[in-house]
Amino acid sequence: MSMPAYQALYSPGAPNRQPTGTVAPETRRRWLQLAPEIISRRIRPTFAGSAVIIAGIGVITVTQLLLSIGLSDGAYEISSLQSTQKELARSSQALTEHVQTLSSPQYLVQNAAALGMVANSNTVFLRLSDGAVLGQPAPAAGSAGSVAGSLVANKLVPATALASVTAAGKNAFPAAQSAPAVPKTDPTLPWQGALPSPTTR
Amino acid sequence: MSSVRTLRARISFAVMVIVALFGVFVFRLVDLQIVQAKDLNAASLSQRSDVRTTFGNRGSIVDANGVVLADSVLRYVVTASPRYATAFTRTTDAVTGTKIEVSVAEAANELATATGQPAASILTALTQDTTSDYAVVAKSIDVDAYNAVRALNIPYLYYEAQQARTYPNGSVAGNIVGFVGSDGQAQAGTELKENSCLAGTNGIESAQTGEDGVRLPGSTVETQSAVNGGDVVLTLNSDLQYFAQQTLAQRVQQVGGESGTVVVTEVKTGKVLVAAEYPTVDPNNVDGTAAEFRGSQIFTSTFEPGSTFKAFTAAALVDSGAATPYTHVLAPYMYAAPGGAVIHDAGVHADTRWTLTGVLMDSSNTGMSILSEAMPAQQRWDYMKKFGLGSDTEVKFPGEESGDLKDPNNLDNQTLYNTTFGQGLTVTAMQMASIYQTIANGGVRMPVQLIAGCRAADGTMTEVPAGAGQQIISKMAADETVSMLESVVTEGYASSSLQVPGYRVSAKTGTAEMSDGNGAYGSQHLTSLAGMAPSDDPQYVVSVTVAKPVTITSALAAAPVFQKVLSQVLKTYRVQPSTLPDPKLPTTY
Repeated sequence: MSMPAYQALYSPGAPNRQPTGTVAPETRRRWLQLAPEIISRRIRPTFAGSAVIIAGIGVITVTQLLLSIGLSDGAYEISSLQSTQKELARSSQALTEHVQTLSSPQYLVQNAAALGMVANSNTVFLRLSDGAVLGQPAPAAGSAGSVAGSLVANKLVPATALASVTAAGKNAFPAAQSAPAVPKTDPTLPWQGALPSPTTR
Repeated sequence: MSSVRTLRARISFAVMVIVALFGVFVFRLVDLQIVQAKDLNAASLSQRSDVRTTFGNRGSIVDANGVVLADSVLRYVVTASPRYATAFTRTTDAVTGTKIEVSVAEAANELATATGQPAASILTALTQDTTSDYAVVAKSIDVDAYNAVRALNIPYLYYEAQQARTYPNGSVAGNIVGFVGSDGQAQAGTELKENSCLAGTNGIESAQTGEDGVRLPGSTVETQSAVNGGDVVLTLNSDLQYFAQQTLAQRVQQVGGESGTVVVTEVKTGKVLVAAEYPTVDPNNVDGTAAEFRGSQIFTSTFEPGSTFKAFTAAALVDSGAATPYTHVLAPYMYAAPGGAVIHDAGVHADTRWTLTGVLMDSSNTGMSILSEAMPAQQRWDYMKKFGLGSDTEVKFPGEESGDLKDPNNLDNQTLYNTTFGQGLTVTAMQMASIYQTIANGGVRMPVQLIAGCRAADGTMTEVPAGAGQQIISKMAADETVSMLESVVTEGYASSSLQVPGYRVSAKTGTAEMSDGNGAYGSQHLTSLAGMAPSDDPQYVVSVTVAKPVTITSALAAAPVFQKVLSQVLKTYRVQPSTLPDPKLPTTY
């Protein structure tokens, strides 16, 4: 590494330095002169350099602009998606509530009763291993399962929500209108597939 | 020279002006950036920041099969600024641009239709104080109503979401589930007991917004994150619970009773499957139930059990060796015991030669009193304590009572004799069911379980109760007691109301005298039935009480409920019908 230019200029051993009293006019002028090599090196712009800098600034500016547009665009999209999500969460909650109320035993039992269904209180089992009937089969009594109005209160199931109601209002529960038509099948229809049989050995 | 001076003067003037201007700017800069900075920052932040509460949901309460008994939902409060409540213009058709003028009264009518609240009260709220900025128009409306109100596009309305509780199954297990107040604070039942599990923690989230209210990307800061509460899983079966409540309510109304309870427990685990009561609170409508029935009588109300308690006395006698199912006793109608105590049977009868089995089958108070003389009172008390009497069950339900078990050394002879057949001491319905569970489970008392645990949002269960049982009496004594109790179902007076076709059932009737509250017995009764099935390998215990029946005052008031609930339980859990024959222990000699 060679000695830097300024050090060369000012160092006492430099050849230009003369005793003060005998300074020649041209030497004095040189004394005031700044290092020409440095200046020339610094101020001489190359075309390629400027082009790169300007292009760089341009690219940065454009990127910044695009990023900014993208971000704010994203912000609106996020905002609109969030409000959609909120709406959906709201309707999901309303529907969940609705389903839960519809599956409450009060609603189910009363609609089943209104459709003429009765519960059979006789417990009978058919044991598959030997075909034995366990328990005493008996038909369900007509009154066995009838419910004279649910005695287990539920404010969420309004009395008007039961099967007798046909009007469909805003809050009306889908009421069971009438017993579904039983498909008329031939009672002598032969059994399709393998017969269920005990797996005794 | 003068031109030089002028130039200097100009330069210094210019410099002074520049310095002065610079000083002004520096002053302004310091003023804005340092002196006023705090206020200005706050003002700007308040304009562009958006602070929101994020809800940490309160957890659900579900039954053993996951049926939701209590759930959290969002409800909305609609408020208005009466100051701005004036007629406004509404565009009814965006295409043609048709506009109509909507007056405050018209708006109130529309709101009434949307929220289902009276138009008059809404109009009052909007017009009462026209200088005010706040008036509540409608409280806790659901999502449908909220959407309907928003669709009205009324400019002076504001909305606020709040957490609320809904109980989809109404009063099914309402006594156990409990309820929360309108302020969201737990007030009763599991809601109260498991509040620490259920409660969520609300979070705070702030973000900066643009002029149009849209959040600036990346500016959202979560100061505190919301934590959802856990779900409480009960051991109850809500379908069975409904069936029991319905059956019980029908019967209590039929016999003109005041109240009743049904408890079903799983013998091998001590899990409570049904804890039904009549009347039961509907947590959606707490005010609709009298205050004394808003809790759970099964845990909080004590009573003298009466003859169903004889099963305990018999089990203790057999276990200690003081008696066997075949021990003879000559039981009179009235027994004048030593120490001045006099014991009567319920019905007049000639002196009868009963075995211990017969004493249970015919529910003889005198017979049980005489047989109990073979065992010191203190020993009997020790058995009672081991069976869990006089202390809370493991459930520790809010407001749970432990029953009144006095020190036997301080009791008179009459009371000591009375306690052998269930008078003179009090128990809760759950303690009674636990006694039968112990006897049915070969003498192993399982801790009473009502809550299976607290399920965190990630599915981990905590607070799972300990399931280790304790051998209270020998298996032989327990099994013999079950066999003795079978005679009540095959030969006792309520036999025809108790039998379940295909199954062997063991049960005990009870018709207890109820205290009139003044230290004497009144004319009213607490009728009860407790038992288990199938007797050859008991799986389920059913215990029923009906308080103060009028048309039937014997245990027959409770018997049909016992029979129906037991049948339903056996059917629900697909219990195989009994195959071994009934032992038919001798009842007389």
